[in-house]
Amino acid sequence: MKILVAEDEPVSRRLIEKALKQANYEVVAVENGRLAVEQLCQPQGPRLALLDWVMPELDGPGVCGVVRRQRQQPYVYMILLSSKESKQDIVTGLESGADDYLVKPFDPEELRARLRTGLRVLQLEDKLVEAREDMRFKATHDPLTLLFNRGVILDLLARELARTRRQKGCTTLLLGDLDHFKEVNDTYGHVVGDEVLREVARRLVGAVRSYDFVGRYGGEEFLVVLNNCEAGAALIRAEEIREAIAGRPVKTTRGLLPVTMSLGALTSQFVADKTVEEILQLADLALYEAKAAGRNCVKVANPSVSAATPDCSVR
Amino acid sequence: MTETNDRSLEATVNFPELLARVDHDYEFLRELFGIFQQQIPSLLQSLQEAVAAENMKQVEITGHTLKGMLAALAAPHAAAAAALLENLGRNRDKIGLEDALARLKYALAVMVPELQRFVSEVRP
Repeated sequence: MKILVAEDEPVSRRLIEKALKQANYEVVAVENGRLAVEQLCQPQGPRLALLDWVMPELDGPGVCGVVRRQRQQPYVYMILLSSKESKQDIVTGLESGADDYLVKPFDPEELRARLRTGLRVLQLEDKLVEAREDMRFKATHDPLTLLFNRGVILDLLARELARTRRQKGCTTLLLGDLDHFKEVNDTYGHVVGDEVLREVARRLVGAVRSYDFVGRYGGEEFLVVLNNCEAGAALIRAEEIREAIAGRPVKTTRGLLPVTMSLGALTSQFVADKTVEEILQLADLALYEAKAAGRNCVKVANPSVSAATPDCSVR
Repeated sequence: MTETNDRSLEATVNFPELLARVDHDYEFLRELFGIFQQQIPSLLQSLQEAVAAENMKQVEITGHTLKGMLAALAAPHAAAAAALLENLGRNRDKIGLEDALARLKYALAVMVPELQRFVSEVRP
């Protein structure tokens, strides 16, 4: 564990450094408060700190205040070291944002014990953050494919469409559906069906750019949001994605299975006046046309007609 | 083994405490004394100049640094003399400044040679 020691007086600094190295800490030693803040506010900076009270440039309580304001997460556990030992000093030190207070000259064993307390607090924070992130992931992702779930991909689509309108850009939406997927489930069972869905998800993510979005829209339906993708490139991108699925069979526990996907594509520049629901309806109708045209193909919706009767030309 | 129960030594440096503080690591003790020897001339000069100029803020800062260093080396009397200067500086109290400086110099004059002797003679 990395620990910052901020102490201007070199003998004490070396003593602390030695005591901490013996306890297997990785010590970063600095001689003033400004350098302490620089270290502690780095993204990968130390999360444990021993701060002398009286230091040049910025004192220990000053360091605590700046760090509490500037570095919200992860938490930094700070112990003030000082020869000041009045109740008022201790209160002032703790009120500045310090977590603990140790009077100099300190006993090395007491110092190490207090640092272990700090480590317990940091470990607890890590566990809480991990649990929160786990819950956040579960709330936003489909548990089988690990893609964004329906609610999130629709939110992302709405956000992208709004941004596109604002910036007069263009977003392409692809609604894809696996062909004859029910037969996979009926013939090989749902375990194999799940294997196919997971692999399809992996291929979809691999086929788009890092700033595009892929979500599971329904059972075997997927929604892809291609940001900054204009009409000229939309069909090419959609074909690449179709080929990423159909190009090679999916390896399952029951052997290699050929899998194809039909896609309905829609480019936002033609639907500036439509709601997200209307846009999805148009994409769905284009997908329906792709299915009707024999599957394993892409159809581009032409919304200039009407959402109820889209003009979808076969490509 | 160096004699550590001599009364004069106990009065200037608390050697058992110092040894405990360095975990009986004699090489480390020598290293600390080296740092101290390196620092002390400039700190004393800074203090003398501050006293002469009645720069009370500098008296406070340098007194504080010396106090910490001497306390870390388990030298209570010298540390107390430095603390007195720190307090005079903090309270902007110019009366007794020269006497306090003289007291610190005397404490150091007694303490430093004793510590040096101990450091050079002490063996594991």
